[in-house]
Amino acid sequence: MPSSWQRQLAKAISKIENMDPQALSEAASLPLDNSSVQIIGVTGPPGGGKSTLCSQLIQALAAEHKVAALLVDPSSPFSGGAILGDRIRMQALVSNPNVYIRSLSNRGNAGGVGSSVVSILREVMSYSFDYILIETVGAGQSEVKIASIADTTLVVSVPNLGDDIQAVKSGILEIADIFVINKADLPGVDSLYTALRESAQKQVDGWTAPLCQTVALEGLGIDALLVEIDKHWQWLQQSGRLLEKRKFAAKFEIMELSRVLLQKHLDKVPAEVLARNLNRKDINLLQRLDEVYAEILNLFGEV
Amino acid sequence: MAPIRVLMAKPGLDGHDRGAKVVSRALRDAGMEVIYTGLRQSPDQIVQAAIQEDVDFVGLSCLSGAHNSLFPKVVELLKERGAGEIAVFGGGVIPEADIPGLRAAGIEAVFTPGTSLEEIVSFIRERVKKDHA
Ligand code: B12
Ligand SMILES: Nc1nc2c(ncn2[C@@H]2O[C@H](COP(=O)(O)OP(=O)(O)OP(=O)(O)O)[C@@H](O)[C@H]2O)c(=O)[nH]1
Ligand SMILES: [Mg+2]
Repeated sequence: MPSSWQRQLAKAISKIENMDPQALSEAASLPLDNSSVQIIGVTGPPGGGKSTLCSQLIQALAAEHKVAALLVDPSSPFSGGAILGDRIRMQALVSNPNVYIRSLSNRGNAGGVGSSVVSILREVMSYSFDYILIETVGAGQSEVKIASIADTTLVVSVPNLGDDIQAVKSGILEIADIFVINKADLPGVDSLYTALRESAQKQVDGWTAPLCQTVALEGLGIDALLVEIDKHWQWLQQSGRLLEKRKFAAKFEIMELSRVLLQKHLDKVPAEVLARNLNRKDINLLQRLDEVYAEILNLFGEV
Repeated sequence: MAPIRVLMAKPGLDGHDRGAKVVSRALRDAGMEVIYTGLRQSPDQIVQAAIQEDVDFVGLSCLSGAHNSLFPKVVELLKERGAGEIAVFGGGVIPEADIPGLRAAGIEAVFTPGTSLEEIVSFIRERVKKDHA
């Protein structure tokens, strides 16, 4: 019964996501260098068809393999809550025993994924999946963190998003291992193709990112895309880049975990200092802050 | 504190999704994480998604009149798959007379048209408090 292991995995992910210290250190003890699983990142503009594309890829891969998908959507800056809607495109997959799908909020983090995503990856990897897909928040120019996490990053573009040049200028193109022009059924494909070809032809460290066209809604171009995904995988292993990529992911994880822990201190320490000093009669905070400043320095010295 | 996670689902063939969307937004604005699964879900799909998503609540919305068979089936399958602690509640066009039967079948609360969104949010918050007590 898939429910029981899926339930166990689902609960473990929640604990990590909620920064439960024990769950984090348990996840940290799991390896990240497992080369029997390919981590595929999918990024691109909001509404570009990322979820529809993921759904098609998962469908095809799950015929013979075990596949997990982590689908990230943004949280509300006002309430911290979120509506996670990527699953809508994946209804057909939910009862497939080879597939585990999990929606995640970015929990206020910039960059398209949450800060605990690599720790979550370690946990998911320990369940012997063959593929793990990560769909990022709909990306603009700066959501490039996925490239530090995934083995193979797909950058989705769509025709007629207003300005093809915009796409070419944004930093997001530089992170592509594979370019995907989705919604290739819409007009404007040719000019987008021309605009992207230049970026695609550049060789980076011996890999030339191919340019694929898909109509995810109808499942067109998926097989050809899977061939490129596999080629990239072969190249990663043969060139030794795979372990380098995973080291990047571990580095990202360390930075993010440190940042979150530091942020907690940052949130706590000034609040305590403020509470202690706000109503002091003996100093006027509007006039002089030096004593309080000294206190803060003192406290951070101790951390 | 960890955000409350809610799966919002539309079981059966009913295509009325305004209510489910309005309630989803209200829960998001109350700081919760809402996994919205879209239209035409079978109870089996709803339960499997609830397990994969590790939700605290499953919210069911039905305006077509099929609630009496669909809602209890979700509760039953959750229990069968070892996820009986997930609380199920629902709403939509549901005759008053059906509500006691749904409650008896394990649907913890039923909200009919005109219910204020605050009422729904406070049901969830109270239920969480009870759980932690
Ligand atoms: C708008 C509407 C439509 C729109 C739907 C648009 C959409 N995308 O949602 C359209 C025009 C498409 C439509 C079509 C039909 N409709 Co219509 N429709 C309505 C109408 C007028 C309002 C529904 C609505 O959106 N209300 C606003 C939302 C915000 O309210 P709500 O959904 O009730 O949600 C509130 C509560 O119920 C509760 N709630 C709802 N879900 C949930 C879930 C949870 C977890 C919680 C906590 C709370 C909760 O909280 C919300 C806030 O208070 C109702 C009449 C009515 N008074 O309800 C008929 C009604 C629902 N429709 C009806 C019918 C028959 C149909 C059709 C079959 C008509 C036809 N013959 O073609 C089709 C079927 C469509 C389909 N595929 O299923 C009947 C259903 C009869 C029944 N149950 O026995 C109704 C009741 C009208 C009637 N009196 O006959 N409809
Ligand atoms: N014409 C056309 N529409 C498509 C194609 N692929 C997806 N769509 C539509 O594009 C819309 C958005 O699709 P999603 O898969 O939700 O896009 P997304 O990038 O995941 O969106 P976010 O996660 O919200 O950023 C939906 O209405 C899809 O049906 C395609 O190849 N052609
Ligand atoms: Mg999506």
